[in-house]
Amino acid sequence: MEAKPAPLTFSKVLRIIVHIGGLAPVVYLVWDYYSGNLGLNPIEAVIRRTGRAAIILLLLSLTCTPIHTLFNAPPVRKLRKPLGLYAALYAGLHFAAFALWDYGLDFNLIWRETVEKPFILVGMAALLILFILTITSHRYWRRKLGRGWVILHRSVYLAAILAVAHHLLAIKGDLLSLQGNYTLPMIAGAFLIVLFLLRLPFIYKPLRQSMGRG
Amino acid sequence: MDKKYCSVPVQPQEVTPKHVYQSRRKFLKQMGVLGMGALLASCAPKLPSPGSSPDPNLMGDQSSNFTDELGDALTAYEAIIGYTNFYEFTTSKEGVAELAENFVTDPWSIEVGGLVKNPRTYSMDDILGHFTQQERIYRMRCVEGWSMVIPWLGFPLHALLDEVVPTEDARYVAFETALVPDQMNAAESGMFPFPYLEGLRLDEAMHDLTLLATGLYGEPMPAQNGAPIRLVVPWKYGFKSIKSIVRINLVADQPPTLWNTVAPHEYGFYANVNPDVSHPRWSQATERRIGESGRRATLFMNGYAEEVMPLYEDMDLDVLF
Repeated sequence: MEAKPAPLTFSKVLRIIVHIGGLAPVVYLVWDYYSGNLGLNPIEAVIRRTGRAAIILLLLSLTCTPIHTLFNAPPVRKLRKPLGLYAALYAGLHFAAFALWDYGLDFNLIWRETVEKPFILVGMAALLILFILTITSHRYWRRKLGRGWVILHRSVYLAAILAVAHHLLAIKGDLLSLQGNYTLPMIAGAFLIVLFLLRLPFIYKPLRQSMGRG
Repeated sequence: MDKKYCSVPVQPQEVTPKHVYQSRRKFLKQMGVLGMGALLASCAPKLPSPGSSPDPNLMGDQSSNFTDELGDALTAYEAIIGYTNFYEFTTSKEGVAELAENFVTDPWSIEVGGLVKNPRTYSMDDILGHFTQQERIYRMRCVEGWSMVIPWLGFPLHALLDEVVPTEDARYVAFETALVPDQMNAAESGMFPFPYLEGLRLDEAMHDLTLLATGLYGEPMPAQNGAPIRLVVPWKYGFKSIKSIVRINLVADQPPTLWNTVAPHEYGFYANVNPDVSHPRWSQATERRIGESGRRATLFMNGYAEEVMPLYEDMDLDVLF
């Protein structure tokens, strides 16, 4: 008797896409490292690329719920977790490149940099939140913490705000007068604002109605 | 020195890798065959004779030394020309070289005026014919926390200032970079208030370390490095070393400078390399030497303290950073 292969559902296809998309940046990075394509300042290239991947994946993770709200797509909603975990993976690699590769785990120096530079402090805060959320993402903690788990995991929004602020503050120039190349973090910030607006009932309800879903 | 000035950017693949020419030179030295240079002359640049002092007529992908005075190795030519900040073209350091390929630097003229007795406009031919080019190996410390060791070709700025003769009222020197929007992609992006301006106090400008550079590694200055002529002030952060200069003005008051205008709390007018004055974004206590992994300690005044500290005797360098 042969077991029937499980049908390839929409939900599974989405999951496979998320895993491929989530692993692609690190595979590409390792490939570039061994083929010498990281440019003349490889440490900076790795720090920038992992940071960018973390923010993009984090924003995508936060996009799942609004999409579900508007289009009633439970399989999309389930992607929050793998996308969020991949975001945490890249945030971790971003930190590792900074602390291990760049600063050679010199704790004195890392501490001095962290307290001296607001953008690093803000980045560390985002990293800490993502770290806690990663550990408590398991079913066990969800069951154990109950209502508290939901509240705890809402801090992912705070992590996203901190991550975008970290990027804004890391740009050379002047943030207040917008002198400098702020294009990327501004796009991320605008995207985050749209996501927040879509959480407001007086915005998503009429949108949902116009799509024929009361 | 009556050579035709030409600033076609040299492609990395055209350049002899450092280890190759170093071994070539070592070989020549060991053999003691001075005439070897003549044999190679048809396909290779002229080599300086072993043990000679820096050769003002150096041509080709070479330097008279392999290290700076501290024993630090020269940064590879490919890295020096492939990793530059020139925001009029792009904010991508590794993207400048390609975008600057069509930057026209011949003909070129520099207007020197303001509070001087003999104002004058120099062509590049005037400059190259008039001032003996010499090699200077300097450390370059960028405010962004990276550094290089670069064999520049050039001449001390004081040689030019002595010729135009600053008046008694002149206390500062103001410099201006060319602004050619149709050749510079990001010149009108609104990201920064171009033209790029820089300035030095007159005594800093007269210091023998302060160089007007016209080339590096024995080659004419590549466009992305500030062709055809740029300033090099090795004890200050790299942004003080203004590129592609078209105007030099002697003035009475401290002139506005680009980074000091954009973010005065981050970039001082003096911008002396100082590991004790922190920056909100980059480590100033340590730096990443391009080509090395990890970090090394940043030297006070970038290692030129002995030479330049007399300039700042009565100054609080933490306040006037």
